[in-house]
Amino acid sequence: MRSRYFKQRLFFGAVRLSALVITLALLGILAYILAHGFRAITWEFLTQSPTDSMTKGGIMPAIVGTLYLTVGAILVALPLGVVSAIFLTEYAKQGALSRIIRVGVNCLAGVPSVVFGLFGLGFFVVFLKFGSSILAGALTLGILILPTIIGAAEEALKAVPQTFREASLALGVSKWNTIFRIVLPSALPGILTGAILGVGRAAGETAPIMFTAAAFFTAVLPKSIFDEVMALPYHIYVLATAGTHIEETRPLQYGTVLVLIALVLGIDLIAIIMRSMFRRNKRW
Amino acid sequence: MEKDFIVRTKNVDFFYGAFRALSDVTVDFEKNKVTALIGPSGCGKSTLLRLLNRMNDLIDGTRVEGEILLEGRNIYAPDVDPVEIRQRIGMVFQKPNPFPKSIYNNITYAPKLSGIVDSEEIEALVEESLRQAVLWDEVKDILTKSAMTLSGGQQQRLCIARALAMKPDVILMDEPSSALDPISTAKIEELIDTLKKHYTIIIVTHNMQQAARISEYTGFFYLGKLIEFNATEKIFTNPDVKQTEDYITGRFG
Amino acid sequence: MKNRKHSLTKHTKEIAIRNLFGFFAFLSVLLFGLILVFLFREGLPLFKQISVTDFLFGTAWYPTYEPPEYGIWPLIVGSLAVTFFACLIAVPLGILSAVYIAEIAPGGIKEILKSVIELLAGLPSVVLGFFGMVIVGPWLQETFDLPTGLNIMNAAVMLAIMAIPTISSISEDALYAVPREFKEASYALGATKYETIIRVIIPAALSGISTAVILGMARAIGETMVVLMVAGGAAAIPESIFDAVRPMTASIAAEMGEAPFRSGHYHALFATGIVLFVITLAFNLIADYISNRFRETGSGTL
Ligand SMILES: Nc1ncnc2c1ncn2[C@@H]1O[C@H](COP(=O)(O)OP(=O)(O)OP(=O)(O)O)[C@@H](O)[C@H]1O
Ligand SMILES: [Mg+2]
Repeated sequence: MRSRYFKQRLFFGAVRLSALVITLALLGILAYILAHGFRAITWEFLTQSPTDSMTKGGIMPAIVGTLYLTVGAILVALPLGVVSAIFLTEYAKQGALSRIIRVGVNCLAGVPSVVFGLFGLGFFVVFLKFGSSILAGALTLGILILPTIIGAAEEALKAVPQTFREASLALGVSKWNTIFRIVLPSALPGILTGAILGVGRAAGETAPIMFTAAAFFTAVLPKSIFDEVMALPYHIYVLATAGTHIEETRPLQYGTVLVLIALVLGIDLIAIIMRSMFRRNKRW
Repeated sequence: MEKDFIVRTKNVDFFYGAFRALSDVTVDFEKNKVTALIGPSGCGKSTLLRLLNRMNDLIDGTRVEGEILLEGRNIYAPDVDPVEIRQRIGMVFQKPNPFPKSIYNNITYAPKLSGIVDSEEIEALVEESLRQAVLWDEVKDILTKSAMTLSGGQQQRLCIARALAMKPDVILMDEPSSALDPISTAKIEELIDTLKKHYTIIIVTHNMQQAARISEYTGFFYLGKLIEFNATEKIFTNPDVKQTEDYITGRFG
Repeated sequence: MKNRKHSLTKHTKEIAIRNLFGFFAFLSVLLFGLILVFLFREGLPLFKQISVTDFLFGTAWYPTYEPPEYGIWPLIVGSLAVTFFACLIAVPLGILSAVYIAEIAPGGIKEILKSVIELLAGLPSVVLGFFGMVIVGPWLQETFDLPTGLNIMNAAVMLAIMAIPTISSISEDALYAVPREFKEASYALGATKYETIIRVIIPAALSGISTAVILGMARAIGETMVVLMVAGGAAAIPESIFDAVRPMTASIAAEMGEAPFRSGHYHALFATGIVLFVITLAFNLIADYISNRFRETGSGTL
């Protein structure tokens, strides 16, 4: 009996330790970046362009570029994802077509991000002649986060009680109106949460935009969707690996990392809080 | 006088996948009368009710055989739009299921979508429906409040009002008061009594007294079959079939 | 309102909407096909220059030499090496943390830990790469007295951090899905919590946990920025865990910018993308297969 409990104690110890290690890893990374990065964060840093061949100045063009790319990505992925999820949950629950679509979505979700980059290069940049541009990058990112959005929207739609659909249909309201006026509004919070998580994901991705949208350096802000842009993740990569001033620009690097983390985790946190709030306030 | 049957079923079989939930059900529902469907749990009452306004379409893998006629027209004919059928045959569910909208919008939701735009007409409709459902006096000052804040009994009457607002010919009720307290139940029974002047009502109930009180006709189901269909008075005093009597007197099983 | 018109047009409108939505939903499949098409379109021309075997198993990756050599075996080995060692770290941590969340942790800690894992999943890979470069790298270099801290070891640690959330959250779902009766039956027989977890719960959730591990591996093998920044970049077959490697993803990301448009090098990078694509697809299909088979047979057959 004692050895049984000894094993249990050992196992529970290991389990707790693993949880601790993971938590410490996250906190360690965040604390380290925060400690080193916050000094770089000044008003100028956030609102100016890089100067002196990117060894001084700010990161405003990269912030703006990331915003353009992520907003573009969500404009692509949200409508497409919601429509797909509606089809999968409301129209074709079973059957060959929905099975094929599900397999397709799963496969798409498994494609490595750098392969999305290659695809974006081959298709949007070269074949459709968009060039390296906001448009090409946003489309690539949009496809990348599409499976996330579909998954979140599907879950949100499934959580809408079947009685709502029945009540509406039993009144002689068409299926389309039932979906559009009853189901979709009830699922909206869940869908938005998913969309926000998708935005966070898109904002942090580097590989897909390396060959499709990101510029090493631009002195001016983009004027059209066919312009290249700087982006926060790519800017970090460039500062940290390329050039002769790697050590010199460390403060800039930490600052940029901090801005990116704040942006991405801030977005995630909003989504997490929103989700728990909606769960609590659920009216059904 | 020739009886006027608004809904008739002819030799209806119904399957959930391979499971046969109804077999050979033939029954006629008389216009502007209340018909009660009774029988032990799982005997297919709800299934039949949901067949009458094609709600079973929503369940995958189901199959209907036989005919269900609304004023002589087979509602399962290929060219029939179930939406049209459901506009003419309304339904009230066992559990009150108002939409998470205001009381007012719960009522106007379906009529607006069916094409009524005139705002005076809509307002009149709201009042009329709520009055018919004996709810008007309780909610006339809080029409913009969420329907979710009403009590269970009020919610159920709102659901009835919502169905009435579509001015259907037939109203199906699946144990509409089983989730409610006795006072609410009494209110619902009262309102059924007034509604039958204008509507055909088909109601499923487990409550024998309720069936006896409110209905003109009663059908007794057992294991997917219609065992007996007769005038309520006859069923409850002198049924033709032994099984019916056993069930009604509680000697069943 | 008795004169409601029954119009066939309404019917057709519904069907039109359904088909339209079906088309947009099918777009995911089309896009997936399109990815395939464009990878092959830009990658296949390489094989006019060299054979598939020379490409896959050639041990020299000198794409800019004259004549160039396009053997990606060192890159494949690099990818496998970092993935393998990342899994050595991530699999136990991921599964144990899932057990903790699903079976042991008290309510408050459970919620916190779930958020921690979600936030960890949200960390951009470039941030982890950066952290590996500036912290883990110098530390490794000093501690083990190495020429460089950018090596398999470093990449494995950072990749593990990326894979843990995947493994943990999917395993957690699998553990939750174990029917309560199993646990209760085990406790009723006098088993301890530990015995119940090891003998009943984990075996019952095994297919879900396997799915989690495979998807975690797929995530690691397809990850780019981390290995690009911390794996060291040497396109050679490694001999120790402290050697630098150049995984496939790193090679693609690092070189695509310089490869002249539609040169042999450019095609070779796309061809590498095909290999990567096929490997991750296989991982995903296996994971899909396992989790589907599990769902069909259900818990009854366990
Ligand atoms: N969606 C479904 N799928 C499969 N079988 C079903 C489904 N709905 C009902 N059944 C089965 O059909 C039979 C009839 O069910 P139904 O709901 O019509 O019974 P009921 O008479 O309304 O019972 P109750 O009084 O409990 O409401 C039951 O055996 C039930 O298990
Ligand atoms: Mg029932």
